[in-house]
Amino acid sequence: MTAVVTRRSRRPKGLTAHIVLVLAVLISVFPFLWTIVMATNTTEDIYKSPPKLTFGSHLLENIRHVLDTIDFFGSMLNTVVVASVTTVLVLFVDSLAAFAFAKFDFPGRRVLFATLLGFMMLPLQLAVLPQFILMSDIGWVGSLKALVPPALANAFGIFWLRQYIENGVPDELLDAARIDGAGFFRQYWNIVLPMIKPALSFLAIYAFVGAWNDYIWPLVVLTDPGHLTLQVALAQLHVGHTTDYSMVMAGVLMASVPLVVVFTIFARGFIAGATEGAVQGS
Amino acid sequence: MTSPPVTGPAAVPQHPGGPGPARFRPRRTPPAGAVRPTRRRVLSYWRQYLAISPFFLIFIGFSFFPVFYSLYLAFQRWDGMGTMQFVGLDQFRFLWSDPVFWLSIRNTLVIWVLSTVPTLFGALVLATLLHSVRRFKGFYRIALYVPNVTSIVAVSIFFGAVFSNNFGLVNAILGVVGISPVPWLSNPWLIKLVIALLMTWMWTGYNMIIYLAGLQAIPTQIYEAAKLDGAGPIRTFFQITMPIMRPIVLFTVVISTINGLQSFSEPQVLFGSNAANPNLGGPGQAGLTTLLYFYQSAFVNNDYGYGAAIVWAFFVLILVMVVINWRVVQRGRKS
Amino acid sequence: MDLSRRGFLQAAALTAAASGLTVACGNGSGSAGTKNGKNLTMWYWGGALSDKVVAEARTHFSKQVKLTVASIGGDFKQKLTTTLAAGTSVPDITGIKGEDIASFLPNANRFLDLNDLGFKKVSSQYLEWKTKLAQTEDGKQIGFPIDIGPTALFYRADLFDKAGLPTDPDKVAAQAGTWDEYFALGTELGKKLPGTYLINNISSVFNIAVGQGTERFIDRDNRFIGDQDHIRQAWNTAVRPYTLGIDAKINDNTWNAAIGKNLTTELGAAWHALDIEQAAPKTKGDWRVCATPGGPANQGGSYLALPKQCRNPEEAFKIISWILSPENDARGFADAAIFPAAPAAYSMPAMTGGDPFFGGQKVIEVFGPAAKSIPAAYEAPADAAVMAPFMTGLTSIEAKGVKPDDAWKDAVAQAKQIARRQGVK
Repeated sequence: MTAVVTRRSRRPKGLTAHIVLVLAVLISVFPFLWTIVMATNTTEDIYKSPPKLTFGSHLLENIRHVLDTIDFFGSMLNTVVVASVTTVLVLFVDSLAAFAFAKFDFPGRRVLFATLLGFMMLPLQLAVLPQFILMSDIGWVGSLKALVPPALANAFGIFWLRQYIENGVPDELLDAARIDGAGFFRQYWNIVLPMIKPALSFLAIYAFVGAWNDYIWPLVVLTDPGHLTLQVALAQLHVGHTTDYSMVMAGVLMASVPLVVVFTIFARGFIAGATEGAVQGS
Repeated sequence: MTSPPVTGPAAVPQHPGGPGPARFRPRRTPPAGAVRPTRRRVLSYWRQYLAISPFFLIFIGFSFFPVFYSLYLAFQRWDGMGTMQFVGLDQFRFLWSDPVFWLSIRNTLVIWVLSTVPTLFGALVLATLLHSVRRFKGFYRIALYVPNVTSIVAVSIFFGAVFSNNFGLVNAILGVVGISPVPWLSNPWLIKLVIALLMTWMWTGYNMIIYLAGLQAIPTQIYEAAKLDGAGPIRTFFQITMPIMRPIVLFTVVISTINGLQSFSEPQVLFGSNAANPNLGGPGQAGLTTLLYFYQSAFVNNDYGYGAAIVWAFFVLILVMVVINWRVVQRGRKS
Repeated sequence: MDLSRRGFLQAAALTAAASGLTVACGNGSGSAGTKNGKNLTMWYWGGALSDKVVAEARTHFSKQVKLTVASIGGDFKQKLTTTLAAGTSVPDITGIKGEDIASFLPNANRFLDLNDLGFKKVSSQYLEWKTKLAQTEDGKQIGFPIDIGPTALFYRADLFDKAGLPTDPDKVAAQAGTWDEYFALGTELGKKLPGTYLINNISSVFNIAVGQGTERFIDRDNRFIGDQDHIRQAWNTAVRPYTLGIDAKINDNTWNAAIGKNLTTELGAAWHALDIEQAAPKTKGDWRVCATPGGPANQGGSYLALPKQCRNPEEAFKIISWILSPENDARGFADAAIFPAAPAAYSMPAMTGGDPFFGGQKVIEVFGPAAKSIPAAYEAPADAAVMAPFMTGLTSIEAKGVKPDDAWKDAVAQAKQIARRQGVK
């Protein structure tokens, strides 16, 4: 990409940079390793001082405890379903609106966009109470569908995609399409969507992780113990005096692994989306 | 929605679109916008309105309306089950003299500063370094971003275990060096530090990616020109990189402020919460953030009106701070 | 599960279109209608009931109804209140914790009056003070007592022995009859066994000291009395171990790491035995139980209640009165250290046996008499909320080193404020 400069200027600074970066990587990866250590040992090993530093052989046993205590796979499935549905809807709703905002000067555009940005600053928790009352009025409290609508009001997505479309989709292309007789929605579907894929993939991960990690809202609204998300179920593992730490850490491990694996598989496309998009933009 | 004022503001001309931004700042583009929108012009854009309507419908239903409904709640006393009782400004009067509320604000702000500053600074440093290296770029990017895709509850539990006073790894390591156990999770300042560390760990990589995107967008020719002029890397950074990065940095500051002031899950998971729990938000309530206090008041003590008052007062307070901050920045730029 | 997930997907697809309209929609409470439903759900939390008895209840009543039980983790009260407030997926039978029951009384209309279903006939079998706590002013009974939490002093006989102190429960009880004597014992233990502590934190002492009195924070006339002598004395009692340096100051997740190691005694209710057993299984046989210094108090002890939405009140009442019959209640004690609210159970074989965790001691000899002499105190709906600042204050003493007198002043001021907010005079 930008290799032209860096190749020519091979500084000795490169080594320092690598050292700092490797240290940073160690810090960001260490918790995963230590979680594995704790999850594979017994609680007594964890309580020992000094604690045991090596991997143990109790992982399966700890996992079995987790499965006995909470409906792990059920809540994981719930979370996956909620996060996927939310993500798809966010992508659709936001990209459509972003296209309109980016390329058309319809009356009220500025006011509407400013309102949207203004609300991005609002702490969403202001809305938690009435949202709860609303959900209870329509009878959705305790059910998974209550998690989706609040997550859809994602102003960041519109902001992000508008930026990208404004710079990354050339007006000439849209004009040409218009001359060929393509209407607004055809342009959106045939030209804009394919062109903004990288930006969409970034937003997708952002929305997915957001939905996956949402905690306060599911904690409040999911009253039915049969329908929990992973976060809430996980928090339930960790309650009370008699915490079985190795079991809890096994739960922590089980809850973290899928997301990390999925992320590393899609990471290339995703980070390209975040960075290359901006390159095109300027 | 609101009742009309007794005397209408005579100076404001009434037009259906509401007050446009034109009065506040000169409109740059396009000249056609200066013309008052005619009905036909509005109608000809029905597709665009249709395109933005799903968002705005959801937005009105699930953000806009609830936000203002919670303001209404702040003037009531309500246990969530019985009938509401209008109490006027009572809830806010209670707030004013409630030391726990002020403590929670202080806690929130301290945690926010302790986490945002190192996060953004670290992210900028890492992004710059990453931008300068050639090998393993992909690996670094992924490995440094990974903390952000972990579950926040899981991470909180993890930090609780690692910083545990009695059996945590951190104290064990300190013990090897000969330092006596540090009360990470009971000293008021250390509690905040641990929460801030947790947030820093989770969010540095995320901000790094955003900065990296900005850095890569800077055309390489500019740097070459700077080099020809004999500018060193530090001068290049401050005189070229930073000014171009300014909007992106501003963006991350806003986003981390929003996130940082909403810290809730971390102390909630670390210290649990129930009505009879003296350790709500940790010993000495040192980790009690405003949102956690809100959650406890509304959903644990069933004091819904007070909960609504807490979030609103908090929001107004932040707004005032932002405005003051912005004013100061503006003045600084003018002079 | 499957059905709801499919329904969920459909609903999600419609959300975008419908969301603007839903504001106006009515309420969709699902469990109305017939009152002889065949499916009943019961909510409780881990350790609230004997799992064995519950399992038997399911088969015992399987001809009449299908009973689904759910063990709710996390904040049980919050889940129950929000569910009741929402009115959907309300359980047919629910547990209510002893410390929460008072706060549900103002909303007694959300529950069925158990007296209408025949509780009057059996009420004499249960401790009167416990039954009364789940009763409104006008005599509506919303909770059926499960258990009570008579307190006792748990102590490590092996460590007492090491320190050259008596280990026999009667002798320890005699030596630690009052709080002062108990703390003196603690000072001696601390000297003989350096690094050990008598109590885990001072809030637990305060909690019990308050419970030993007949008045709490709010009186029957709905007046705040948390600044009066009885509370101040409990406070002073609680602070003493801190000043004596025999307080371990444990206020975080490290209790279960400490319990098997450097805590010589533990103050707690009967059910606390299970916590100790689970946290420190290796100390089996080392523990003994004796009477609480300064007299017995009650801590916790729960109820079962039937929310108004209950789909089959009669069968539900039959189920809970079966689960909580003195015979079955007695079994809960052996299974999960649930101490029955029915005195008849105390003489049943299930309870009179020796407990191996306590070296074969017949713990009923300590808890039984304690249960019967617990002072009855009025507990106002706002009591728990008003008590919280005192607990916080005590923790601040331990964590921040706040001066006890300052902490007291803060706690009282704040408790007064919370009381006013909750409508207390």
